[in-house]
Amino acid sequence: MKPELTWLDDPETFRVGQIPAHSDHRIYRTVAEATQDTSSFVQSLNGDWQFRFSKDPMSRPKHFFETDFDASQFDSIKVPEHIEFAGYDRFHYINTLYPWEGHVFRRPAYALDPSDTGKGMFSQAADNPVGAYIKTFTLNSGLQDKTVRVRFDGVEKAMYVWLNGHFLGYAEDSFIPSEFDLTPYLKAGQNKLAVEVFKLSTAAYLEDQDMFRFFGIFRDVTLIAQPKMHVADLLIRPIPVNDLKDGQLNLQAHLVGEIAGGKVQVTVTDAAGKPIFQTSRPTSPNLEISNQLLKGIQLWDNDHPSLYHLLIELFDANDHLLEVVPYQFGFRKIAINNKVIELNGKRLIINGVNRHEWNCRSGRVISDDDMAFDMRTMLANQINAVRTCHYPDHTKWYDLCDTHGIYVMAEDNLESHGTWQKLGGVEPSYNVPGSLPQWQAAVLDRAQNNYELLKNHTSILFWSLGNESYAGDDIAAMNDYYKSVDPTRLVHYEGVFHNPKYKSRISDVESRMYATPKAIVEYLENDPQKPFILCEYMHDMGNSLGGMKSYIDLLKKFPMYQGGFIWDFIDQAIEVNDEVTGQKVLRYGGDFDDRPADYEFSGDGLLFADRTPKPAMQEVKDYYGQSK
Amino acid sequence: MANQNNQLHVVYGDGDLGISGDNFEYLFSYSRGGLESLVIDHKEWLYREPKPTFWRATTDNDRGNGFSRRSAQWLGADLFSQATEVTVKVNGQPIEFPGAKTNNRYSNHEYENQVEVRYRFETATVPTTTVLVSYTVTPDGTIAVRVHFEGNAALPELPVFGMRFVLPTVATSYEYTGLSEETYPDRLAGGRHGTYRIDGLPVTKYLVPQDCGVHMKTDSVTITRNSTKNNADHSERPFKLTFEKLTEPFAFSCLPYTAEELENATHIEELPLKRRAVVSILGAVRGVGGIDSWGSDVEAPYHISAKQNIDFGFKISH
Repeated sequence: MKPELTWLDDPETFRVGQIPAHSDHRIYRTVAEATQDTSSFVQSLNGDWQFRFSKDPMSRPKHFFETDFDASQFDSIKVPEHIEFAGYDRFHYINTLYPWEGHVFRRPAYALDPSDTGKGMFSQAADNPVGAYIKTFTLNSGLQDKTVRVRFDGVEKAMYVWLNGHFLGYAEDSFIPSEFDLTPYLKAGQNKLAVEVFKLSTAAYLEDQDMFRFFGIFRDVTLIAQPKMHVADLLIRPIPVNDLKDGQLNLQAHLVGEIAGGKVQVTVTDAAGKPIFQTSRPTSPNLEISNQLLKGIQLWDNDHPSLYHLLIELFDANDHLLEVVPYQFGFRKIAINNKVIELNGKRLIINGVNRHEWNCRSGRVISDDDMAFDMRTMLANQINAVRTCHYPDHTKWYDLCDTHGIYVMAEDNLESHGTWQKLGGVEPSYNVPGSLPQWQAAVLDRAQNNYELLKNHTSILFWSLGNESYAGDDIAAMNDYYKSVDPTRLVHYEGVFHNPKYKSRISDVESRMYATPKAIVEYLENDPQKPFILCEYMHDMGNSLGGMKSYIDLLKKFPMYQGGFIWDFIDQAIEVNDEVTGQKVLRYGGDFDDRPADYEFSGDGLLFADRTPKPAMQEVKDYYGQSK
Repeated sequence: MANQNNQLHVVYGDGDLGISGDNFEYLFSYSRGGLESLVIDHKEWLYREPKPTFWRATTDNDRGNGFSRRSAQWLGADLFSQATEVTVKVNGQPIEFPGAKTNNRYSNHEYENQVEVRYRFETATVPTTTVLVSYTVTPDGTIAVRVHFEGNAALPELPVFGMRFVLPTVATSYEYTGLSEETYPDRLAGGRHGTYRIDGLPVTKYLVPQDCGVHMKTDSVTITRNSTKNNADHSERPFKLTFEKLTEPFAFSCLPYTAEELENATHIEELPLKRRAVVSILGAVRGVGGIDSWGSDVEAPYHISAKQNIDFGFKISH
C-alpha cells in the first residue's frame, strides 16, 4: 500500500492499516508478572527519538522513512512530548475558533458544496507543520520470534508509520491508541521505525477542543509481542440480578493464533482474593461464558467500589502457560426508571467535574503521579464523577476510577464548535459532521474506538458522543452505534439541545451546559421527557464558584435533576521562566504571540495549573458532601 | 505626657487633632481628611489616611457580565473621593471646630474621656453621595470606627464598600477568627469557623490578578509587622494591631496591593514588589458568581445596591 499525502484532506480516510480497536486489557507471561504489572511481552519505545521539524508539508524530508536515509542531521526529541514544548512550534491557545482563523480561509470538505473534496487544504498548507520521527530499536528477548505490534497511545493529529522502509498505515483520532502490526517487516538486530506527524488534517475540524493546540507523539509508544495464542479482545459484562443480590457474569474473549488443542482457564476472585468462580475450557476463537450466576455479590458504587478480579490463562496443547490476562470488574446497574437515572436501584446523583489532562510543565503529557494526585484530590473533596472532556484519557485513569468508585462519563474525541458557534450565536451553515455522509464514518470510528477500548471499565456509566458538535444524522448514527453494542450504559450528548429535532434520536438524558437554576426549573416543571444533567456548570474561571447552593437545592426538589460536572478540574496554563525576572511563572493564551487567542479563558480549574487547590475547593467539598 | 487619671490627652493643634494615652498617639488631620497617624508602642501603622473603598479588582465574572463597565464610577470614587468636612465631639458633645484660632483657648493639659472625630466624604461619582466615617477614641486607646454610606438610587451597584488602611510596610502575617480560606457572600458554605494564621501576605494566584483574599464573617483580625519606615527604629521585633467587630462580624482582606494595582496587572509577575499591606475592612461585599463567565450576573441577593444606606463598624485595638 502506498501512502497518500492527500489523506490529510479527505474526511473519508482516517485509518489505514491499523489493527482493529479492542479492549485495553494487558497481557503477561505469568501470573507473577501480572501481579507485579511488569510484562515481558512489552517493550517501551519512550525516550529519545531522532526528529526533524518542518514548517509545512512542502518542505518536509520526504524520504526520511527509507532505510538508507541519512538522518545524521536530525535533532533529538523526547517521546512522549508535544512538539511545542520541545520549542519547535508556537504554543497557541484558542477556544471555539479554528487555529487558522484570520490566517487561512477554509471550509470543511463537502460542507458547502458536495463536489468540494478539499484536496490540498491541509496537504499543501503553509500552516501545517510536520514532525518526522525516527526510532531505531532492537527487540528485547521476550519479544523475539513473535507477532509484534507497535502501539501509539496518543499522537496529534495525523500520522503515517513505516517500519524498515515499509509503509504500515495511517491514523487520526489523536486520543486513542493506534496499533500497527510490525511482524512482516521485523528484522533481527536493528529496526527503523519512522513516524511522520502532521499538525493539521481533516481531524483538525473534529478536534477543535477548547485547549492549547499541540501536535506530536504525546503518549507512550510501546512494542507488544503476543505469544502463540493471544486474547485479542475481551468483553466483560457483569450484570446484577435477583434484586441486585446476585450477579451474572458474561464473558467473551476473542482468541487469535495457534488455538487448536489448548485450554483456557478463567478464574474470578473476590476483593479478599477468594476464588468464587473457575472454569476451564478447550480453546476456540470465541470463548464465551454466558449468564454465569455468582451468588451474593457486592455491588460497585462510589461508597463501596467493590471489584472482582478476573484472570484468564491460556495454555497450549502441552499445558504450558502462554498468556495471562487480568482484569478487574464490578457489578453495577445503571438504568432509567420513571425518568430518573438509577444506579443499583437508587437515584444517581452526580457530584462531578470535567477534567482535561494537564500538567503546566508538559501539557497533556501527564504522569502516573499526576493521575494519582488528581484522584486523591477528587476523593478528598467529595467529587464522585468525572467527564473526560473532550477526548478519551490515558487508560490508567479509567483503572483508577474503577478502583476508587468515580463515575465516568466517557467522551469521544469530538468537538467541532468552530463550525457552528459563531461569535456566541448558532450558525451551522458549514457544520461538520452534521448530516454529511462523507464525515460520518470518521465520527463513527471515534465512537467505536472509544467503546472498544474502554468497554470493560465498570466506572463508565455514560458514553458521551463528544462536545459541542451540534447535531445531525452523523451524531445520531453514533448514538445508534452505542445503543447497538452496549445495553449496559447510557448515552449522553449535549449538542442536540441546539438542534432539538434530533432530540428523540440522540441522548438518553437532557443535558445542558451553564443553564441557570431558573432555566432548569423551567425544564423540570414542564413535562420533562428525560432526566436532566448539567454536563458543564459552575464555570470556575478565576475567582468564581459563587452561588452553588442554587444548584444543590435543585437536587432536593427535583428527582429528575441529577447533578452535574463543574467546569473544570485544573487551569490550563504553561509554566515558563519570566523573561524579566527569570522566575517560574504561569502563562496563558496570547502570551506566546499566538493570535487570535482566547487568553485566560482556560483558567477555569478547581486547581491552579500547578495543582494547588483554589480557595473555592472547600465550597465544592461542602456542597458535594451534603448531596451524596 | 503621662496619662492623668486614665484619660486621653488631647492636643488641639492647628492642623491636627492629637489624641494620646499610654503607649499610643493618634493624629487626626484637618487638611488631609483622615487619620494621619496611628502610633502604638512607638510604631506607625498608617502610610496614608484611611479612606472609604468602593472598588475591587475586576474578577473574570465581573468582566464577563460587564459589571465593571456598568459600575466604573466606583473606580473613580475609590481613587478620588475626598473628605470635605471634619467635626469633633468631646465626651459625646459637639464642640466648635477647634481650628485656629478657636483652639487658642486650649492648653497642653487637656484630658478627656472620649473624643470623636468624624469625616464627611464626598464620592467622586455623578451624582455624588456621602460617606461619614467617625472615629471614637477612648482612654484605653481603642478606636471605634463607624461608617455610613448614604444610599442614592441614581448610582450603580457597588463592587464593595468598606474602609481601606494602607500600612507603611509589609505585614509578615495576619491571624483572624472567622471562616477558613477565601470566602464571599455567595461562596462561604464551605468555610469553617476558627482561628487561622496566614503568613507572607499571599495573593491568590488567579491567572489574571483579580479581587481575592476576602474573608467573610470575621470577628477579629490581627496584623503582624516587624519593620517600620522610621530610620531610627532598628528593631525587628514583631508588633501587632487588631481590628475587631463592634457588634456584627465584618469582612476583610489583607493584601500587599490596592484594588487598582491588582486591576492593572495581566499576570501575577507584573505586580509590584510587596512593600506595604492594604487592609480593607468591609461592610458590604459583592458575590463572585459562578453560573458562567460570559454574561450571567451574580445572583441578586449578592449584589450591593447603591440605593440603600450601608452602615457598619469595627474597632481598632492593640
